[in-house]
Amino acid sequence: MARNIDDTDETHDATNRRTVLKYAGVTGLAGIGSLAGCVGVDGGDGASTPTSGGDETGGGDDTDTATETETETGPESITFGQPASLTGKWDFLQPAASQSTDLAIREINEAGGILGAEVSVSRRDTAVNPQEARTVVNQLVNNDEVPAILGLFSSEITPLFDFLQETAVPVVTPWPGATSLDTRGGDKGTETLDDDGWVWRTVIGDTVGTLGAAQYVLDQDVSTMGILNGTSQGERSWAESFRNAYEGNGGTVTKQVEVSEGKASYQSELNTLFEADFDAWALAVGLQDATTIVREWDSAGYGRQLLLEDGLRDPDLIENVGEQAEGAWIAAGSSEGPNYDSFVEKFREAGDADIHTWGVAAYDATNVVALAVERGGSADPETIQQNLGPVAREGGTTVSTFAEGKEALANGEEINYDGAATPVDFTDFGNVFGDVTVSSVTPDGFEIEGTVKADDLKGLVESY
Amino acid sequence: MELPFVQELIFGLVTGSYIAVGAIGFTMIYGLVNMINFAHGEFMTVGAYIGFIGAEMLGLPVLGALLPVMLVSAVVGWGLAWVVFEPLSDTGPIPLLLTSIGLGLVLRNGIRLVATPEKRFVNLDAPTFRFDDLGFFVTGQHLLLIGTTAVAVVAVHLFLTRTQTGKAMRAMSDNEALARVTGIETKTVRALVWLIASGFAGLAGYMLAVGQGATPGTGFSQLLLVITAAILGGAGSVYGAVVGAYVLGITISFSIAFLPTWATELGTTMAFVVLIVVLLVRPGGITGEEVRA
Repeated sequence: MARNIDDTDETHDATNRRTVLKYAGVTGLAGIGSLAGCVGVDGGDGASTPTSGGDETGGGDDTDTATETETETGPESITFGQPASLTGKWDFLQPAASQSTDLAIREINEAGGILGAEVSVSRRDTAVNPQEARTVVNQLVNNDEVPAILGLFSSEITPLFDFLQETAVPVVTPWPGATSLDTRGGDKGTETLDDDGWVWRTVIGDTVGTLGAAQYVLDQDVSTMGILNGTSQGERSWAESFRNAYEGNGGTVTKQVEVSEGKASYQSELNTLFEADFDAWALAVGLQDATTIVREWDSAGYGRQLLLEDGLRDPDLIENVGEQAEGAWIAAGSSEGPNYDSFVEKFREAGDADIHTWGVAAYDATNVVALAVERGGSADPETIQQNLGPVAREGGTTVSTFAEGKEALANGEEINYDGAATPVDFTDFGNVFGDVTVSSVTPDGFEIEGTVKADDLKGLVESY
Repeated sequence: MELPFVQELIFGLVTGSYIAVGAIGFTMIYGLVNMINFAHGEFMTVGAYIGFIGAEMLGLPVLGALLPVMLVSAVVGWGLAWVVFEPLSDTGPIPLLLTSIGLGLVLRNGIRLVATPEKRFVNLDAPTFRFDDLGFFVTGQHLLLIGTTAVAVVAVHLFLTRTQTGKAMRAMSDNEALARVTGIETKTVRALVWLIASGFAGLAGYMLAVGQGATPGTGFSQLLLVITAAILGGAGSVYGAVVGAYVLGITISFSIAFLPTWATELGTTMAFVVLIVVLLVRPGGITGEEVRA
């Protein structure tokens, strides 16, 4: 029977279980594989164990009455919660995230569901407003009784962090880059929940993304920069993180100007910024403001190289200012993880949303949560929290879809989910590393100029 | 010799220009219909999208789209007023105000449904004139916005002072009951006010679409400044609204340029500081009750 950490026998440890699994793999005996599923009740690796419960195609032992009980008492349906940016200034990003989430949900159900239960998603609009997000999380948890949440932006998570910890429902989100999450989420790699943070992200944080951007800019012999950024949490985080990375590696920011977002014009702010002397300037604001600023920058003829924050890597930018911003750099976490190619084909067939990094990462977020439930054998928040690390970190059979993971778990194997956006190897703080791609803006789209590899960045980040 | 304040003055005039055109319509409704129309921002947005359709989708010249923008906006505003506001005209100011807020919400979300939230620009292919020795530049877009406002203000002035209808409006603004007993068709005048005010709102929205791009929330985002300009200048006064708009625009630009850059809200904040100071000194606004529409 699959059990949670709370009801595991702590006298058993991970070594015992892994040894049996290894033996099962070596012998190649299906029966041993099933046995491993039963042996795995100790869950000594700090998480609850894989189960075949509720999986008609799984390799569960027919004699395992506990598993049968799980099948009989398992949930009929599971609903995940998705706070969404259906309105507001970030609403242009939601279609891809929704499409990816729905794609993953469909695949999960086609694979027989989680623990045999049909899966769905409850999507509620927050407009990326923290107050609204708090209400939505309450609705999702208390009304919809969701065991996990697949969303929330930096602007929402940062002010609501304590609230989310009290709620004690895992938040696995494809959105936030905020540096405030660098050392606050995840499971710290320990067996208990006491030191856990209930936030995980399947997209690289600003610390990594801006470090890659800074590395690229410095490699292009840009030694001085100006920064124009908005005041929302996401924009401030990006700008500060970039500044730290850039100056920490030898560059100098000669002027930084913050702007109130949502204004009709930014002419005075631009003029103030460009009174300073610098080689290039970075822009971190929402897309609508960015199009206005880039147009005003272009018509004023201020010149100098432009670096755009990752959130602006969107086809609408090309449509509105592709010509005015031609040649601008844009550094973004690469959306092309180990299984990007197989994902993107399915994504294209699933709808007509424009693909972007966060949309891809939403697919990974949904899958790791589903696999955590499958591995834990229970759709309760604590079980999911305890199993997120084990299904995604290195070690075990590499899988790229829920179906593959479910089959491997049913065979009593440990799994390592390799994502579409990144490898999804969660750090102890619930973060992921990925490549940083630098593209240039052309009237026809984004052209990749170079990639800063994740492995080159790992050693440069202290705590993440 | 560089004159850095000239650049900020130009930016301030541009900002003041589209606030002024919006404020003319707002203050006409306030002065002659006696209601605060919170849907005025959405009337501006309607103009922005009509302009986008005309200039970008139908290929009209930017200036050529001005007339259809004003005409269509005028008819839309007048129609909505006749259907929504006029039947409630005897219920008092609060129901009218709340109704206008509701109508604004409906319009904003209706536009959002149809037009999607993306920003739409009316592209203007105009040169930039640089005066490097003096340290400033002015774009063709700047000139168009300032020039359009100048023409609009002169047109309003001539209409109010040289035409019978304009004179009737001024009379009605001063005292509607007296205007009625002197034979002025106040109902007709009210209809004309809605038409003209909505036309100007549409023009202001179109100017925004040309200058900074339009979203479904464009007009609403400017409404606070429009109302502030109207109050600053002297609520109900067309000329006061124009003066108030330029005071606001120039104050915002200079505040951003010359106050600390960390204080991002200082530009708008200073505009309201000016409003408070002016109202403390002259409760009726800059022009007070002296020159009403």
